[in-house]
Formats: sequence, C-alpha cells, structure tokens
Amino acid sequence: MEKNDIIELVKDWRVAALIILVVLAVVAIYPHFEDGHLTTNIQYGLDLEGGSWTQLEFQAETVTFVSDTPVDEFVTSLRERLDAEVYLVSEGMIEIRKEVPEDELRTIFTEEGATLKEYYPGIMKDTAEQAKTILEEKINSLGTKDAKVYAITGINGICRYMRIELAGVSLNEALEIVGKPGKFEIRIQTATNETEHVLWGDVVSSVQTPHMEPGGMWGVPFALSTEGAEQFQQGAITYGATKDPNSHYLEMILDGNVVYSAPLSPSLAGDLQVAPTRSMRASTGAGEEGREEARMLEIHLRAGALPVDVSIAGAGSVSSTLGAHFKLFCILAGIFALIAVAVAIFIRYREPAIVLPMIGTNFSEIIILLGIATFIQQLDLASIAGLIAVLGTGIDQLVIITDEVLHEGKVPSPNLYLKRLTRALGIIMASAATVIIAMLPLAVMDLSSLRGFAIITILGVVIGVVVTRPAYGRIIMAILSK
Amino acid sequence: MDFPKYNIRKFTPVQLITIPMIILVLALVSVGITWMATGMPVTPGIDFSGGIGVTIGTSDSPEEIKEYFAAYPIESIQGIDSGDGVSYLYLKFSTLDDTGYMALVSHVSDRYPDAKIDLIGESFGQTLQHQSALALLISFIGMAIVVFVIFRTFIPSLAVVISAFADIAMTAGAMNVLGIPLSLGTTAALLMLIGYSVDSDILLTTRVLKRKGAFDEKIVGAFRTGLIMTTTTFGAIAAMGIVSYIGQITIIWEISAVLLIGLAFDVMNTWLTNAGILKWYNTTEKGRFSSGKRGGA
Repeated sequence: MEKNDIIELVKDWRVAALIILVVLAVVAIYPHFEDGHLTTNIQYGLDLEGGSWTQLEFQAETVTFVSDTPVDEFVTSLRERLDAEVYLVSEGMIEIRKEVPEDELRTIFTEEGATLKEYYPGIMKDTAEQAKTILEEKINSLGTKDAKVYAITGINGICRYMRIELAGVSLNEALEIVGKPGKFEIRIQTATNETEHVLWGDVVSSVQTPHMEPGGMWGVPFALSTEGAEQFQQGAITYGATKDPNSHYLEMILDGNVVYSAPLSPSLAGDLQVAPTRSMRASTGAGEEGREEARMLEIHLRAGALPVDVSIAGAGSVSSTLGAHFKLFCILAGIFALIAVAVAIFIRYREPAIVLPMIGTNFSEIIILLGIATFIQQLDLASIAGLIAVLGTGIDQLVIITDEVLHEGKVPSPNLYLKRLTRALGIIMASAATVIIAMLPLAVMDLSSLRGFAIITILGVVIGVVVTRPAYGRIIMAILSK
Repeated sequence: MDFPKYNIRKFTPVQLITIPMIILVLALVSVGITWMATGMPVTPGIDFSGGIGVTIGTSDSPEEIKEYFAAYPIESIQGIDSGDGVSYLYLKFSTLDDTGYMALVSHVSDRYPDAKIDLIGESFGQTLQHQSALALLISFIGMAIVVFVIFRTFIPSLAVVISAFADIAMTAGAMNVLGIPLSLGTTAALLMLIGYSVDSDILLTTRVLKRKGAFDEKIVGAFRTGLIMTTTTFGAIAAMGIVSYIGQITIIWEISAVLLIGLAFDVMNTWLTNAGILKWYNTTEKGRFSSGKRGGA
C-alpha cells in the first residue's frame, strides 16, 4: 500500500475513531512495571484475586395491607403480638423485622382486623443501607482492607440480600467477622482522665430508631434489662454521677473507641437516686447534625449487631494461590482462542492481506473492551468467558462483512461496495440486537457473577457494531482495491 | 478448503427437517423425564439445588477424605487425576444450618487451606432458580420480538425462532445425556446460545429474502459464509474449553462445553430446519416472495 493511501485511510473517521479508542484504552489499562511485575489498572474479581464473598439474607419481610382499625393501634398490637420490631414505612406498608411465614402472617392480620395484600421477603432500602453501614464500620474497625458491601435491592425497592466481598480474607475469617458482634461498654468518669466500668452491651435489651423530642432535640431511646438497670443505678450512685452529673460524664465505648459522652440529665439523676430505670434516651443535639449523630449512635448501641437478623444465603472463597492459577489459565485460554481463530480464518482465506486486518481488528476490540472495563466492571471468571465468547462472535461478523463485499469473488466498484457494506452491517446489527436482548435480563438482575458476564458481552457487541466493524469495512476496502 | 457438499436441491423440505425433528423430540423427552425427576429441565447443580461444593487439590484418597468429613453430609466425590499424585477433587455436601456451615468451612480450611468453597443455601438456590427461569424466558421472548421486527414476514421469522428453540432444547437434552449440571454458568451459556443461534439464521434469512438469484444458490452461498463463521467461533470456544479443562476452571469449561454443543446443533438447525422451512415457504408462496424486498447486489 502506498504511503498516501495509508494517510487517506487514517483520515477516514471510522478508522480514526478505532485508532483513538485503542490508544485511550491502552492509557486506561496503563500497563507498567512495578517491583518487577507487570501491573495494569484492570480490576480482578475475587475468584482471580483470592478472597471470599458472603451473601446474607435478611430474616424479615415488608408487607402492604389495609386495616379497619386505626393504623397506629394496628401497628402497636402487631408489635406486641409478634414480639418484634414493626415499623410503618409508608401509608399501608410495614416492615416486620422478624421472619414470619406468609400464611401465618396472613392469619394474624385477619385476626387483628386487617388484610394483608402483598408479602415481600426483605426490608426497606433505608434499613438495608443502615445494615450496610454497620457492617462496613465493623469490617473497617478490624483493619480489613478492600471490603465491599452491597445491599441488593430489587426493582420494588425491597432489599432481601446483602453481599460482602472481602479480598484476601478466607471464608472462615469472613464468617467470623460477619457473625461476631462488637464489644459495647458503658463507663462512668471518676476523675479527669479516669473512668470505671458500669455495664456491658449484653444488658442493653432494645434500641429504637432515632427520635426527635418536641423541643427539636434528636436522641436514641434504648432500654436495659432489669439486671442491667440495677447495675446502671449502682454504678451511677457509687461513682457519684447522681449527685454531681456534670463532673461524672457517662461514656459509651464500642470496641475500645468512645462513641458517646454526656452527663446524666438532672431528672434522670434524681430518679436513679431512688430506683433503677430501664428506659432511657441518649440525646445528641438539634438539627441535621444531631440527627446524623443519633443515627450513628443507634448503630453503636446495637454494638455492631444488625437491625435485622440475617442468615447465610450463600458464600464462597478462592485462595490467592488458586486465584493466581486461574489467572494464568485465563490468559492462556485467551491466547489460544486468538490463535485458533487466526488458524480458522487463514484456512478459509489463505490471504494474509485479509487475515491480518481481521485478527488486528479483533485484537483491538478486546483492548478497547478491557479499557472500558477498567472503569465499570471487575474481571472475574465468568466475565472472562464472556470476553472470549465476544472474540468468537467478533470474528464471525468480520467474516460476514468480508464475504458480503467479496460476493462472487470480484472486488466491486466503490459505490456497490458501500451498498454491500451497509447490507452486511445490517445483518450484524440484527444479530447484535438479539445478543443484547438475550443478555439484558442477566445484566439487570443480580444473579451474582453472571452480571459481569452479561455486561462484558453486551459491551463487546456494542463496541463491535459501533466502532470496530465499520472501521474494518473501510480497511478491507482499501486493501482489496489494490 | 473443501466444503462439505451441501446439496439442498436434492432434498424436499420434509426430508430436510426430518432428522432435526427426531432429535428435537428425543431431547424434549430427556428434558421432560429430568423435569419430572428433579423439577428442572436439566439436573441442577448446587447453584440451584443448594449445597456446598469444595474443590481441593490433594493426594489424599477418597476414603481418607470421607473419613475426615464423616461428621458432615457428604454426597459425592468427583475428580480428575492430574497424574503426579495430586488430584483435583470436587466434594459435594448437602445443605446445613448456619452453625453447620461455619463448622464445615472451618473444618475444610483446617486441612485444605487452599480449597475453593462454594456454598448456596436452599432458599437462595430457589431464588436463583426463579430468576434464571425468568431471565431465560425474557431473553427468548425478546429475541423473538427482535426477529419479527427485523424480517416483518411471519414464516421466515417463525423459522428463526423455531431453530433457536430447537438449539436450546437439544442442548439441554445433551447436557442431561453428558451429565453437565445446570449451574449459573451453564444458564448463561444457554442464554448466550439464544444470541448465537440467530446469528447464522439471520444471515441465511437475509440472504434469501434480500438478495436476487436462484433460491438454492443463495442458500449454498450463505452456507459457505455461515460455516466459516461457526468454525471460527467453534475454534475460539474449543480453545477456551480445552485450556480451562486442563486448568480445572469449572465455570469456564462448563460454559465452553454448552456453547460447543449448542453451536453444533445450531449448524444442523440453521441449514436443515431453518433452510427447510424457508424452502417450503419459497415453493408454496413464491408469488409473494419474489415481490418482497430486495437488496441491490
């Protein structure tokens, strides 16, 4: 090919777009040497990096209902009857933080003069977000890096599962972290820098959601067990907090960190002097700041325990040794797939001028795909299978283009060529549309690892249709018209 | 390269579709029997039935392993011998409660710290089952709608949809025969097959509907392109399958195996089932056909 022809070719927008995208992708992937190892920006999934995932299911349900009795009364009696936390989340919808089978719940509703309409296992998004924050805090406090917690919320806004991914942590350790509550303690200040132990978190019998007093002060109501209330009264009296609250602050400590510190209110100090009190309220202040603090305090009071009980729905782990082994074989699989494709194409066309651009186009498609993936999708085993499958379909469609324009073995005039190229791209668009439609449900639903597979496949098809195949059509034309 | 002789002139439409239809019926019987036995069209793996799968590389004998896990509900031990005394074994346990899971996981890591563990609870398995079934259904309907929108003629569109259905049903039947379980990975492969299988069907139908020329010649031309397409995809996926089998990457080689089986059936369903229906359509509705849309070439 003449030098001028190459310049002309690069000036074509289809070819230029391909070249620019490949360059950008290489920049995004950023292959470089670090400590003598080839490193890139590509994010790997747990099954290649080593680590564990745990999927927890919330033991709770959210239901819609209609009630003949006033809603407040109904919720209160339901709360007593089920001995569970029950919250009205919006008109006609309640969250029940205890697992009750649908049939049983339906009967109870009828007996209470209400009708259960829809039953969804799971909790509201807000509650799930709270559970997520608690777990994140707990994992961070244990010094685990690279933790990802996802609340998996369905299209109806109800969250049934939560997924925790911990890189470099074995499943054994992960289950311990997730299962172990934090250590909560209340101490009372005795001198400027000294405090004395009063009680442990096990006597905190219930914690309510943040609540605003009529005066605008936010706070978290909580209750102690009978035994805890006695310990609290004794501690307060012994260390002088009932007589002089302001120089004997109460400190709440979670896993060694002070999370709340305040004096007893004068009225509570007075009450405690006479008798133990079970129900108390920790005030945090007014406004948005007070509300945020109250929200965190609720989490701390629960001592890292989740607002809703959970059970293990699924879990898995891959050791880093095995992950490294998988990574090696994935790279080998990719290389061999590319070689297999090249051999098949060569046998068919026996013409390096056709085979090389084809393989080149296919290869650049993979590079662009990896480049985009560095931003949106971590590569796990399933998405690598998707990547290699895309390599297969990619070549397919280059064959369609080549055969369509080479119809009857003659190289057509530019006009006819473009007509045929358009028709070939039509076939390609049609099959691309079906692949995208077929993969769409998987990309939207959360079938754990299959989401990556679907996203990579769809992305690959889109890049192919929009960028690489039109460019290939232009390149092959320049080559064939020689 | 010598292409296999594909002499569509010699056969009537009924002859063309006889073999695929026999295989389809056999596949549906196999799917039906499995469905009655397990509640699913293909025998489900732990992803759907629930359970614990543990993959270990070890030189321990199956008896030693059984003894070590005597306190746990071990269902089966499968594996391949890698030759140098170490074999990769896949142990399958039935579902337990949360405390049971935690005890088993720690028992596994005590002796096999490098084990790969996959645990799916029964109810989560059921959720995955429902979602997969839904995904498969939506995909198939979506594909059918796209096909009808593209061709806007009833019989050719239906032919594409029928061969896609046949691909999936036959592949499911073959999975039963070969003992490949239905897992998240193989479900993804079946979905992928929906996309793949229409690839060559669309090529065939476009060539027949939109190009000028004798019907049989157009089909033979499409066959040359279609076969090379399938060969390249086949090559890429076979390479992936072989490498991942050697490396024991279960999810990838299961996906590869299902795609390879599906592609093989797709060759048959495109060039016999779909071509057969198109040929019949061409002979019975010739008038409408030649006045239909045409491409320029």
